[in-house]
Amino acid sequence: MPEENVNKQAQAGQNPKDEEPRIGVYVCNCGGNIGDVVKCDMVAQTLGKLPNVTVAHSNMFMCSDPGQKMIADDIKEKGINRVVIGACSIFLHEQTFRRTLERAGLNPYLYYHVGLREQVSWVHHGTPKEATEKSIRMMAAGIAKARNMKPLEPVRLPAHRHALVIGGGVAGLRSALDLARRGLQVTLVEKSHYLGGRMAQWERVFPTNEEARPLLKRLIDQVLAEPNITIHTGAQVAGAKGYVGNYTVTIRQQPRGVRGTFPNEQGVMDVCPIKQRCEFNYGLSTRKAIYRPYKECVPEGLVIDWEHCTKCGECVQVAPEGMINLEEEAHEFTVEVGAVVLATGFQPYEPFYGEMGWKEYPEVITLPQLHRLLDDEGPSDGKFYWNGHPVRNVALIHCVGSRQVEGVHRAQMDGEVNNYCSRVCCTASLSMASLIRQKAPDAKIYEIYEDIRAYGRWHEDYYTRASKNNVTFLRYYAEEIPEVRRADEKAENPLLVKVRDHLTWGEEIEIPVDLVVLSVGMMPNPVQDLMEIFKVTPGSDRFLLEVHPKLRPVETAVNGVVLAGTAQGPMNIQESCAAASAAAAKVSALIEQAKVELEPYVAHVDPDQCQGSGECVKVCPQEEAIELKTFSENGRTFQRAVVTPANCNGCGVCVSVCPNRALDVQGWRLDEYEAMVEAIAADIPAWEGAA
Amino acid sequence: MPTEHIKVDALVVGGGIAGMQTALDLGDQGYQVALVERQSSIGGKMIDLSKVFPTLDCCSCITTPKMSATAHHDNINLLTYSEIESINRNGNGFTVQVTKKPRYVREDDCTGCRSCELVCPLEVSEDEHEFGRTSHRIVYVPFSTAVPQKAVVDIDNCIFCGKCIQACPSDAIDFTQQPEPVEIETRSIVLATGFETTPIDAKKEYGAGKLRNVISGMMMERLLAPTGPYGRVLRPSDGKMPASIAYVQCAGSRDQTLGVTYCSRVCCMYAIKQAMLLSGALPLAEITIYYMDIRTFGKGYEQFYQNAKAMGVEFLKGKVARITEDADQNPIVRVELIDEFGKTRVTERQHDLVVLSVGLLPGGNPQAKFGVPVGEDGFIQVPDYNVFPAVTSQPGIFVTGTALGPMDIVDSIMMAGAAASATASYLESSNGSGKEAQSQPERSVEYA
Ligand SMILES: Cc1cc2nc3c(=O)[nH]c(=O)nc-3n(C[C@H](O)[C@H](O)[C@H](O)COP(=O)(O)OP(=O)(O)OC[C@H]3O[C@@H](n4cnc5c(N)ncnc54)[C@H](O)[C@@H]3O)c2cc1C
Ligand SMILES: Cc1cc2nc3c(=O)[nH]c(=O)nc-3n(C[C@H](O)[C@H](O)[C@H](O)COP(=O)(O)OP(=O)(O)OC[C@H]3O[C@@H](n4cnc5c(N)ncnc54)[C@H](O)[C@@H]3O)c2cc1C
Ligand code: SF4
Ligand code: SF4
Repeated sequence: MPEENVNKQAQAGQNPKDEEPRIGVYVCNCGGNIGDVVKCDMVAQTLGKLPNVTVAHSNMFMCSDPGQKMIADDIKEKGINRVVIGACSIFLHEQTFRRTLERAGLNPYLYYHVGLREQVSWVHHGTPKEATEKSIRMMAAGIAKARNMKPLEPVRLPAHRHALVIGGGVAGLRSALDLARRGLQVTLVEKSHYLGGRMAQWERVFPTNEEARPLLKRLIDQVLAEPNITIHTGAQVAGAKGYVGNYTVTIRQQPRGVRGTFPNEQGVMDVCPIKQRCEFNYGLSTRKAIYRPYKECVPEGLVIDWEHCTKCGECVQVAPEGMINLEEEAHEFTVEVGAVVLATGFQPYEPFYGEMGWKEYPEVITLPQLHRLLDDEGPSDGKFYWNGHPVRNVALIHCVGSRQVEGVHRAQMDGEVNNYCSRVCCTASLSMASLIRQKAPDAKIYEIYEDIRAYGRWHEDYYTRASKNNVTFLRYYAEEIPEVRRADEKAENPLLVKVRDHLTWGEEIEIPVDLVVLSVGMMPNPVQDLMEIFKVTPGSDRFLLEVHPKLRPVETAVNGVVLAGTAQGPMNIQESCAAASAAAAKVSALIEQAKVELEPYVAHVDPDQCQGSGECVKVCPQEEAIELKTFSENGRTFQRAVVTPANCNGCGVCVSVCPNRALDVQGWRLDEYEAMVEAIAADIPAWEGAA
Repeated sequence: MPTEHIKVDALVVGGGIAGMQTALDLGDQGYQVALVERQSSIGGKMIDLSKVFPTLDCCSCITTPKMSATAHHDNINLLTYSEIESINRNGNGFTVQVTKKPRYVREDDCTGCRSCELVCPLEVSEDEHEFGRTSHRIVYVPFSTAVPQKAVVDIDNCIFCGKCIQACPSDAIDFTQQPEPVEIETRSIVLATGFETTPIDAKKEYGAGKLRNVISGMMMERLLAPTGPYGRVLRPSDGKMPASIAYVQCAGSRDQTLGVTYCSRVCCMYAIKQAMLLSGALPLAEITIYYMDIRTFGKGYEQFYQNAKAMGVEFLKGKVARITEDADQNPIVRVELIDEFGKTRVTERQHDLVVLSVGLLPGGNPQAKFGVPVGEDGFIQVPDYNVFPAVTSQPGIFVTGTALGPMDIVDSIMMAGAAASATASYLESSNGSGKEAQSQPERSVEYA
């Protein structure tokens, strides 16, 4: 690993050792977010009296162009060489202000940020006086640190111009395509044995009414045509080492057991004695242990379901020689990549037994199942039949597994209900209502909903069309879950749906139906393993969490790991594709130049103090971050600790154990901490309004 | 006047959040970008908002740093106060004629110190950012966080007294300035021309804009913004603090009679956001939201809605049929409660202030200027909406943000990334003449 710059700080731009600190202090009102509680001008005025503080200002918006210009002007005109800003969270605008310093010719790390919004005004809004005092103290500590700050340089490393995309649904495919077209190498890893994810299972897609699979196929063909993309299906990430720009990822690939395609595939499947639930049709049909996921799937050809295959060898008998290998083993390999796109998608919510009749009555199905049922290539060739009978009355119940209310709905395993809206199910239901109307012109169709969320472009047309098509709408409140029960044996329709309808004064209505469709929402695909491997976190809705929905909407807190599509939250195809492209743009900007910059907050050894005790090496939790190396000087050999900055995450454990105080974390040195602690504990200058 | 020539990889039209983010995402990837904005500052509609859902970040905290980053980016050439005159295809690229409108202030010299504004003797009361509720001088810096921070002279109202010329410390005022032609040669174009809101007088049933205490959602944004006209929420007719405020949802959307059949997608959320902010600003006020469906579909949005309910905001399902006013100019809202079986219940309720949750209409007339087709709804139509939403039917022309249809800031920013990515793909392809068409090698789908 190259060790650049870490010991070269002294050469970086100016040498502050001979320079008296001239500190500029800036207190932001944050448009009232801070200023409504903290007396910002008082804070600035008070701090202005502290030693080394050359200027102290307050401003409505420090992050705005005029605010930034104020800092830049002070640097250029008043010789400010340290900057302390009290504002929002450092998360939001650290980069903004670093760039300001850089533009004005000052090392960007000579700046300290105090969070006056999250840490003061938002939590102490009832007590403005104390809040102001706390602000003064926190900023005084920042000023104390600033006096001791040294310029730093980011750790610059070469990066692989190669991205790993995990998940081959529409989002993963779209990311891969954009990255490849941008000239980057792409490895795409898909867990299942086919590309396309959930989209392949839909009969058609709103809002364009296009057939889903041909649309998907066009995208897949474009992906296949890109020489820069390598695809691995049946594969998953088993582990990863490294950091942005330089990940080594281990991929484990399940064998297909079948090589390519051959003419009598149907005959081969026919002889297999094992019958399994077909997951592509959501259990509405069965498949064999040697099977094709779906008709036009890519890669084409059969695949063996190892979990259920008994290796009886029947298929091998009828297949052309050498095409089937029941002894094929999984294999592992590694790829070196600079960035990772998580496009692991969603799974439909699985109702629990008895939830609105689910599993209790066979006439209760889910919306994904309805898609399969109505699909010409589905288990009933697209006929709207159930149990061999045409369906005459059907009720679609919205928000199953979404918009749940604590205390009303049953919680998931983690104790939380799904209190979010799944965003696609309303329009998906309405679109299916249109299709049902085409296939069964006389059927009675009920949409039982909370709110119709046909929000997107052309979505509302589905709503209007459904109304025109004599679809009956009934509105329920989340607190009163519709009930599904078995009708009288003699009744014409097997089920009754009881719902309190709030479009008619909360009247309780019972409707007889042949089929109930639960418009189930979205849950993230389980990716606990990937979260651990890449150290990314989920939000309270269990979907993967972005840094900030507006400032950094596709980035995770881990530099180099980005999100695409429904792994992040419910989205439709258009939104998933937009997000996937946005993720590709971020990755391109990050590694396109084949180099990355890392924060300089890493351990630093003072070679004069280090005695080579090796205590640091023992406690360091990171691999290859610090080690003892042997040096020789004037015939004497000795050992000294040496840091590999790229592997150090700046946790500082080594600092705490070094018997010789030879270690420090750059940017957070012990002398800086000490100065800060002292300043916090010191008496603060008297300020107007303190009494 | 000699024509200034600019040569770039991508021209972004429109400097709202979508256009800025697209420019940043392209610039960060190393492409040269020109951003043309017709207003005197970038920022678009977003800069006028108060706080933004769902995070309730103050809007300036999100927008102004993006404005600043755009202006200072090494790879972005910013042209504000500029109009696109014509676009001609030129080989694989485009030649675009742009006119820089005269500010009557030399941009290079003006420091934005506002000395001119202080001495200008005249005021006009149509500051577009305050929605006619306050005034500005004839020479003025558009608003306190404008980018660029440069004064502009409202020449139609100027009496040429020359006071500003004397006051300007850097001698930047120049009444002889002429429109400046700029020619941009670009390989691609991204349309980020944004939206307009439904005019307040669009619906005669809602008072046709004549009821003083019926305002639009955008006006309420200004009333709530820290940079707004009064610094607090007062109703227009008599400056009274409203004790009862009503929101009328879908005012201009989902409305056959106006020919706007689509949902504007942001108004449910902004109404709820404003209701929450109002509960903070006016703790005693009663707030009612009249709606047809509450559409809080985005990440974290449903919880936002539930929080508002828990804070005591009243949600009442029903279509508002008419708004009138009483002798004290208190608006009276007539609501029809919707009933599938033909029954309607009508109630009338009096409020102090009514906010119309106006919808989003297409802005910037992209069809006429850029030759891209638009849909029945007036927003830009693309051939493959689901999978390639940013790619228009005109090779080399892309679309982003609300130019593609109503969407909120989160989705606009996502779309900006999408447009940047689509543009980059194009620039690297043979059509964008980034590279020669490659022969397609054998595929390797690995079966293990
Ligand atoms: C009933 C229903 C109907 C819908 N109808 C429409 C519609 O009409 N129009 C529309 O726009 N949208 C529709 N949607 C939404 C649409 O399905 C999604 O937007 C889209 O499928 C999301 O794509 P994705 O790539 O994010 O996720 P997915 O399609 O879920 O793809 C994720 C992929 O990642 C793979 N994967 C998961 N974990 C791993 C792992 N650890 N390693 C490797 N690979 C992994 C999965 O196998 C899968 O192939 C509908 C959704 C539902 C539930
Ligand atoms: C009342 C209200 C409240 C809202 N609140 C929120 C909120 O809290 N959270 C949220 O996420 N969203 C909110 N929104 C939505 C948000 O405003 C939009 O999502 C966002 O502003 C869209 O940005 P844009 O860049 O697409 O369009 P715009 O902001 O309209 O930008 C388009 C820009 O292009 C320029 N332009 C147009 N044509 C040309 C041309 N021919 N040449 C040069 N320049 C041109 C325009 O001058 C403008 O600057 C709200 C909307 C409204 C109406
Ligand atoms: S989209 Fe509709 S059905 Fe789906 S969770 Fe949201 S409100 Fe319920
Ligand atoms: S977002 Fe809400 S208020 Fe706006 S048009 Fe849609 S349903 Fe109506």
